[in-house]
Amino acid sequence: MVPQCQVEVLYFAKSAKITGIRSETISVPQEIKALQLWNEIETQHSGLTDVRNQVIFAVPQEYVKLGDQLLLLQSGDEIAIIPPTPPPPVSGG
Amino acid sequence: MAATEEVLTLQAEVAQREEELSSLKRRLAAALLAEQESERLVPVSPLPPKAALSRDEILRYSRQLVLPELGVQGQLRLATASVLVVGCGGLGCPLAQYLAAAGVGRLGLVDYDVVEVSNLARQVLHGEALAGQAKVFSAAATLRRLNSAVECVPYAQALTPPTALDLVGRYDVVADCSDNVPTRYLVNDACVLTGRPLVSASALRFEGQLTVYHYGGGPCYRCVFPQPPPAETVTSCADGGVLGVVTGVLGCLQALEVLKIAAGLGPSYSGSLLLFDALGGHFRCIRLRRRRPDCAACGERPTVTDLQDYESFCGSSATDKCRSLQLLKPEERISVVDYKRLLDSGSPHVLLDVRPPVEVDLCRLPHSLHIPLKHLERRNAESLKLLGEAIREGKQGTQEGVSLPIYVICKLGNDSQKAVKILQSWTDLDSLTVRDVVGGLMAWAAKIDGTFPRY
Repeated sequence: MVPQCQVEVLYFAKSAKITGIRSETISVPQEIKALQLWNEIETQHSGLTDVRNQVIFAVPQEYVKLGDQLLLLQSGDEIAIIPPTPPPPVSGG
Repeated sequence: MAATEEVLTLQAEVAQREEELSSLKRRLAAALLAEQESERLVPVSPLPPKAALSRDEILRYSRQLVLPELGVQGQLRLATASVLVVGCGGLGCPLAQYLAAAGVGRLGLVDYDVVEVSNLARQVLHGEALAGQAKVFSAAATLRRLNSAVECVPYAQALTPPTALDLVGRYDVVADCSDNVPTRYLVNDACVLTGRPLVSASALRFEGQLTVYHYGGGPCYRCVFPQPPPAETVTSCADGGVLGVVTGVLGCLQALEVLKIAAGLGPSYSGSLLLFDALGGHFRCIRLRRRRPDCAACGERPTVTDLQDYESFCGSSATDKCRSLQLLKPEERISVVDYKRLLDSGSPHVLLDVRPPVEVDLCRLPHSLHIPLKHLERRNAESLKLLGEAIREGKQGTQEGVSLPIYVICKLGNDSQKAVKILQSWTDLDSLTVRDVVGGLMAWAAKIDGTFPRY
């Protein structure tokens, strides 16, 4: 059993709107594949499916591909989910 | 009753005529300015090399000239550099202001849009008197007042695939200050095809991003975002807010990167992304991926060998302020004129306003029931109770067996359609007819009540 750690997930732009929060602390295995980590987060916030192909997934502070790459995490690491933000048109609704 | 109605009708008509008159005045002012601009010569030639600074230039730029990193050589490079600013809005204004102040030789300004009053809180080159004029002319006029030595070239048009390569190719550095996805891809591809560095920034709500693309072997925009977001996710309603100073901070950071490239110092954010969180007061830096060998634009076998149709690639428009959704059939919708008639007839109904609370605080129709779209989407229990009560109350005024209509309204008529779809899916409401008001409260302000606030 891989030990768990507490990481902070930061949601930017559209992803903050989808999840309704700007950050949260989650518990994940210290060794986890990038795609699995994403899936863990997506399970909690199903709306993120809409943006999964358009985000920068940064673990910690570095872009990772949503694939088989094994990540070694430590408690306190920041995971950022960053969709592109051309600001949507100012008028709306 | 009849007298009140006449007063209201007359007031609405007066407001409409006044609006028409001020619109005509704005068009006249814009036409006059455009006439002057067309007489100016649009330079196409490269800026000549500069061997030395004049006495006036030494005094003017003295505070930056004594920085050893910049010095005379850096200043001379700035003076012969040209920068294309795509978008003269919240980012483009502060960016162009600092580039002009710093003595960049030539600034190309691209924007198809005109100055509106709602721009003034963040687009700091435009003044009250210039509402209705092309943003590029307004910006150029302000920049020339600031530094008459800087050549400002206004292009009062959208950047489009037929013109972009030629235009981008005439400038040394490109700053993407645009506000839409198709333009982001267009600018990127034009920069890759012409070999120009691209300094890209964006700001939304309290957040900003900044990065430099296609510089020194670093990634381009397509390397980082190979696929555009699905069109429906960019059909934004009610989430377009931004604080002016946030776009100001990003525009200034963007200007800094442009200046460093133009002066030969090299940028700091090639291959990395700066994230600014204005609420939390954090700056974070994320290392981006390297250049993608299979990138469609800058990869080893690029498929983007010429500019494409970016609006169809992204499924969204580069110039629409807000894309109009068509989720409902015409019979499921009502015009503001017909709704006004129904309201005046006293016919029982429920008017449901689905805008977020912050917008309802700005203005509302007094008889409306307010339940934000988000609450409907989540079937918020408290909101359902409120709606149920309103329906029961409304039904007391109707005859047995006659259904009570619900009219849904929002700002512009997109969210209201989404809300109708949700209400239609609730089987417990099947005895009700639900329609939305086309064009929302802004259509109400334009066609029915000239005193109703616009935003």
